[in-house]
Amino acid sequence: MLKRTRSVFLLAPLFVAAAVVSSPMAHAQDKAITTFKVHHVIGLQAIQHNAKGQVMVTKDSLTFSSGPTKSDLAINSIEDVQTGADSQRIIGGTLGALTMFAPYGSGRFLSLFRSKIDTLTIEYRDPNGGLHGAIFTLPQGQASMLKSQLVAAGAKASPVPAQEAPKS
Amino acid sequence: MKLRSKRCMPIFFAAGVLLFAALFISPQWSAVAAQASAAPPAPIHASALQIEQIRAEDVKLPAEFQMAMYEHVIEEVEKTRRFQHLYRDGDRDAANAADLVTLKCTVTGFKPGSAEKRQVTTVAGKTSVTVHLVFTDKNGQKLAENDVQGKVQFFGENLRATFDFGKKVAAVVRQDFAPMKPAKA
Repeated sequence: MLKRTRSVFLLAPLFVAAAVVSSPMAHAQDKAITTFKVHHVIGLQAIQHNAKGQVMVTKDSLTFSSGPTKSDLAINSIEDVQTGADSQRIIGGTLGALTMFAPYGSGRFLSLFRSKIDTLTIEYRDPNGGLHGAIFTLPQGQASMLKSQLVAAGAKASPVPAQEAPKS
Repeated sequence: MKLRSKRCMPIFFAAGVLLFAALFISPQWSAVAAQASAAPPAPIHASALQIEQIRAEDVKLPAEFQMAMYEHVIEEVEKTRRFQHLYRDGDRDAANAADLVTLKCTVTGFKPGSAEKRQVTTVAGKTSVTVHLVFTDKNGQKLAENDVQGKVQFFGENLRATFDFGKKVAAVVRQDFAPMKPAKA
């Protein structure tokens, strides 16, 4: 009886620890599966360049939503998905441009602070067969996850070519 | 003797100037004159243009560059208002266009550069992409060809070179093609 209770007491913390450790991971995985925060560089119809938004892969489409605007891309129209690596200034946009005029070269110094990003390039065809290309940037490490989701949903993807990504 | 050499100085100087003019200025001037006398090529009239996918056979070009260049070319050429119809690569409707011109773009050079170097040093880290453009008619006959370089030299991330490329292709289109005829009311 004593041995049994002792083993229960020993196992209980293990279960608790496993639950504590695994639940955020599982939650994170679930979160990763549902949406990706992206920048739309170019290529989607009716979406502005450099629009921030979210990408969601469903059974038969990739949906980009930026506020009220949405753009759907049929998975079966995707001909190729390729990932790449790049980097960007941490302080970007108009403020980043203005820092270039900051005194004593401080703007240049700020340019040294850069964050690594992933790029995802999607080649797709419209209903007439016309070629389109959509480019997204994502936080580092997420492009391959999104690509694998697209491939799992039925998108075609060529093997990764051995080429140098441009240094930024 | 000294006086004679002083008198000769202007003559030598004038002779030198004339020689310089004969050697350097005259060939350049004749080239300019020849260019001016040669009539500029007549603009091409076409109602439809199909832009083929950008090829990079001998050059390692990242996929995002390739597609960004293509999208920027489409956007910028559309703004020129030289064609009634602009078709993308593989568009089935292009087969029905009467006077279709096809634009083939082949990447001949790519320098990745570095945005960080550009922003820190201003002078180093230029990103550039060189592309050979060929315009052909429906029978495959060459109508025009150009070499265009898209680059980002001072400000901007590397992909900005693709936007510059699109702008330059649009400039070539403006130069080589006649504007659209206004539609009759």
